[in-house]
Amino acid sequence: MANSLHDFTAANTNWRHALRANNHRTWIIIGIFLLIYLGIGLLIDMYLYTSSYPQASLAQIFRAIVTFQLFPIATSVTCIIAVISLLVTYSLYDKLMLLGTDYHEITPQTAQSPQEQQLYNVVEEMKIAAGLKYIPRVFIIDADYMNAFASGYSEKSAMVAITRGLIQKLNRDELQAVMAHELSHIRHLDIKLTLTASLLANLTIMVLDVFFYNIIFSRRRDERSGNALATIIILLRYLLPIINICLLLYLSRTREYMADAGCIELMRNNQPLASALLKIQQDHIAHQDNYKAAYLNTPHENVRREAYIFDPTQAGIKGIGSLNDMFSTHPSTEDRLAAIGFILKNKV
Amino acid sequence: MIMTILIILLVVIGYVVLTYNKLIAQIEAVRNNQKQIDIQLDRRFKVFESLINVVKKYMDYEQTTLKDVVALRNQAQQAKASGDEKTRIAAENKISDIAAKINLVFEQYPDLKANQNCLQLQEEIVSTENKLAYAKQSYNDSIETYNATKKSFFASWIVNLFRSKLNMDFAYWQLSEQKVAEQESYTVKL
Repeated sequence: MANSLHDFTAANTNWRHALRANNHRTWIIIGIFLLIYLGIGLLIDMYLYTSSYPQASLAQIFRAIVTFQLFPIATSVTCIIAVISLLVTYSLYDKLMLLGTDYHEITPQTAQSPQEQQLYNVVEEMKIAAGLKYIPRVFIIDADYMNAFASGYSEKSAMVAITRGLIQKLNRDELQAVMAHELSHIRHLDIKLTLTASLLANLTIMVLDVFFYNIIFSRRRDERSGNALATIIILLRYLLPIINICLLLYLSRTREYMADAGCIELMRNNQPLASALLKIQQDHIAHQDNYKAAYLNTPHENVRREAYIFDPTQAGIKGIGSLNDMFSTHPSTEDRLAAIGFILKNKV
Repeated sequence: MIMTILIILLVVIGYVVLTYNKLIAQIEAVRNNQKQIDIQLDRRFKVFESLINVVKKYMDYEQTTLKDVVALRNQAQQAKASGDEKTRIAAENKISDIAAKINLVFEQYPDLKANQNCLQLQEEIVSTENKLAYAKQSYNDSIETYNATKKSFFASWIVNLFRSKLNMDFAYWQLSEQKVAEQESYTVKL
């Protein structure tokens, strides 16, 4: 990995294009998620109706459900469950994000040092540049590692949190770039988006699980059509989690690229973000052992992993997110730098 | 057949209403952002004004303190010369009081060094100027969004239908050409 920005060729970046392209990708993924969700509901409806109408063929049942001759009970129930659980998580989620960390809030009145005052100023400047109506609440996390994240479902309830290590090791411009990246997440409603997607993904798996065990234990092997559906459900039970993880990771990465582009939109300068990202990555590699201990000692670190500006797993710090450690939620720093116009010289 | 026509009609009306509302929101955003520049100009004036006042007061304080000390010193010396020990002690005590007060101030704020003050002042100035610049940028950005929507296909038809309400002509914030030429040739003279 390169050590300084001198190892890169600097170019301008078309942030307008980056924002548009990644936005399109997001819509496609959301569309796929909704289709999967409805598809699972439909599948289960068909499975249920095959036992009520054993003599009907699968195609007939499918047509009957799609044209509402048979009411799609399972689809409706899963949709209602999804809406309720989304509302519950929306109302609880903000408090969840800071779980386990040592933090305090910063306001112009309570800023204890010039550094904290500077942080607040920087956030305020970016709020003006982004034309947000409310200034997000600013929190400092007392930790040595360099990281930051944003949370909140709307501009009104938004917050940004930043570790003390980050404030101390970045200069004003770099700090501003990090905050611009976080404010872009808020502007693009990324927190709401990724959480909704992952909740839907988990729900589909839960619903599938219920019917998977139902099939395993009931062993209705007498009806042929029901049997075909049972095979699909059993197959999906193992395939869907993988598909979901791929989609979620792709979604999270596109949103990172978008936030990077949004940062450049606000600052009109790609150099500060690039040097901040490099610094954060190098710092993580240099203090790998200390930071690993720090991350692991902070409870509930996995809630924040996706939201962080830098995914600690990229510096070889494993064991934070339990399941999908081998995939990063963020694109590699090199790719992110390339996307904002800094391409590694003499790439071997 | 009638159903299809009705649906198409509904879709068209829906599109017109949505586009109309979107354009109105964008126009208001531009106006608000324009006022944001005024707000930041006003803020800059007030912040700098109060900064100057603080500096003045600080210097005044230093000057009056110095004057007081000099006066008390003279008083003490005169009293010493004339053998008026009581006045002398009183004057010396007052000087110690002043010194103690100054020390107290410094003890309360260990950071109260010239360097620190200078850094804070610098930060305040940088931040104020940045806020003003970002307000201008945000204003121009909102004009860009509005103009792009206004001139885009389909939306431009709707703008033509409601010209008085939807067709605004906002000027980008920019320097005059003369000013640009002036700024271009600017170099720091040390």
